Amino acid sequence: MNFALGKYVPYDTWVHRMDARAKLAATILFMVAVFFPMATWTMTLVAQGFLLLFVSFILASTKTRLRSILTSLKSLWVMVLFLLIIYVLVPKATNTLGVAWTWNGWTVYWDSFAEAARVIVRLVMMIMIAMALTSSTKPLDLTYALQWYLSPLKPLHFPVEEVAMTISIALRFIPTLLEDAMRVMRAQSSRGVDFAHGNLWKRITGLTSLIIPLFVSSFLRSEELANAMECRCYDPREKRTKYRKLHFRVSDIFLLLAMAVITAGIITISAMKIDFFALMGIVAL
Amino acid sequence: MNIAEIRHLSFAYNETKSVLHDVSFSLEEGKYYCLVGHNGSGKSTLAKCLMGLQSEFEGDIILFGLPLDRKNLFSIRSRIGIVFQNPDNQFVGSTVADDIAFGLENKRIPREKMQSIIDDFAAKTGMAEYLDREPSMLSGGQKQRVAIAGVLAMGPDLIIFDEATSMLDPKGKKEIIDLVHQLRKENPGLTILSITHDVEEAARADEVLVMNKGSILMQGKPEEVFSRIDDLKAIHLSAPFFYELRAALIERGLKIPEDIKTAEQLEEYLCR
Ligand SMILES: Nc1ncnc2c1ncn2[C@@H]1O[C@H](COP(=O)(O)OP(=O)(O)OP(=O)(O)O)[C@@H](O)[C@H]1O
Ligand SMILES: [Mg+2]
Repeated sequence: MNFALGKYVPYDTWVHRMDARAKLAATILFMVAVFFPMATWTMTLVAQGFLLLFVSFILASTKTRLRSILTSLKSLWVMVLFLLIIYVLVPKATNTLGVAWTWNGWTVYWDSFAEAARVIVRLVMMIMIAMALTSSTKPLDLTYALQWYLSPLKPLHFPVEEVAMTISIALRFIPTLLEDAMRVMRAQSSRGVDFAHGNLWKRITGLTSLIIPLFVSSFLRSEELANAMECRCYDPREKRTKYRKLHFRVSDIFLLLAMAVITAGIITISAMKIDFFALMGIVAL
Repeated sequence: MNIAEIRHLSFAYNETKSVLHDVSFSLEEGKYYCLVGHNGSGKSTLAKCLMGLQSEFEGDIILFGLPLDRKNLFSIRSRIGIVFQNPDNQFVGSTVADDIAFGLENKRIPREKMQSIIDDFAAKTGMAEYLDREPSMLSGGQKQRVAIAGVLAMGPDLIIFDEATSMLDPKGKKEIIDLVHQLRKENPGLTILSITHDVEEAARADEVLVMNKGSILMQGKPEEVFSRIDDLKAIHLSAPFFYELRAALIERGLKIPEDIKTAEQLEEYLCR
């Protein structure tokens, strides 16, 4: 299994030090910016290139190793092939980049490749920004950030604190449950269950022998945890004080503003179908 | 002063089988109690009743002079701490510091005061260097220490250990028991009720309670309880090594003076 994506790496970089709320908002703004289409291919190249540089800079700042980035992107190959096949088989009505080649009456347009490339680059950027966020932010801080953004819903009787507590407990128990899964798997393997080989049916029945014990043990765990929490005076309906507190700093506001300006710029250019090259009198694709 | 008074407590999880029958005992402030008994004798169930986790019991549970009911639940609970057997299932926070803070947050301790409390109890339990660690990066014994720190930080007057050391290796077990003894020295008002299968731990307690099939069979000083080897044998419990040895020697016709209370003294006496 590949856990490079979504794993906190405890370094001390300026990205790590940023407020989780600012990072979460900036990530969402970035994802929005990534998805706005440009009027022409050259403009797309410019805009996506700029965003790619930007996210690479951020990700490099978090000291994420290139290896772990590549491993998280590895599984995209299937996607690349799939997209290429789709776009080549089903070309768009208007193709501006011209014909790549024709073969037995089949016309393959350059646009198909460009289109596939655009989708892939978008996905890569989404993965990169998500990696930058999760590798530089403790899951707990992310939960607090989420709680902070949801807190306006509190007057509407939305259980903000309970949801945040649930998420943070779920995150805290992921490694524990994985360990459980490993243990059950080893126990079942030693009893002759084969998880890796055999036909589909065999594998599925093998999997149930993993899932059922896992369910039972997690229910037992959850009951014991609930007891332990109650014994330590936890009452979801009561007010609690908070140990962790997030701190907005000037630099956080600055970065958030910068991100907002970039996103707003991209949206404007996209909405008004602005083409810098045409404005400069250059005819581009 | 009696910190806990349990009178005629009976409890059943379902109609078919009752787990506790007519349990009565009391706990004095500042003493170290050990509760021993066979698997399934109802020790954990008793602890759950004391913590107010099971409310459908018969009889009276009076803690700190207050009857345990819905009205007093919060104020009683905030004075009792419990450490369970499985360290993973009581680790609520994402890091050591957050877990110790969890109880403080529930007790609405102001944020400014939390850090010093956390630092203090992390240091006492030897976890000061690990405050930022996540539970998956800690050993079982370390997690158990965090659980103890979390309970201690809430400033309880009574702590219940439900087989809190049974998952630890002998070294970890001894460290935790020594820690408890040390804490009692620092805070003489602290009462401990330790549920255990470790009779050697029970030999160091102020009083031992023996539970069998849902009732309290004996309560008294370790020397009194463990001298009744035959009664213990009848319920398949063993006594600490010293008491077993002494009983075996007496059976073989040796006379052993009353003032010999440890295996070392016995060894010295026999060598003379
Ligand atoms: N949640 C439950 N529902 C129904 N029966 C239960 C439940 N928990 C425990 N029991 C039963 O109650 C009896 C006492 O269990 P308890 O856990 O109190 O024993 P114990 O003395 O703590 O044993 P051990 O030394 O193994 O921890 C057992 O027969 C057990 O099967
Ligand atoms: Mg038990």
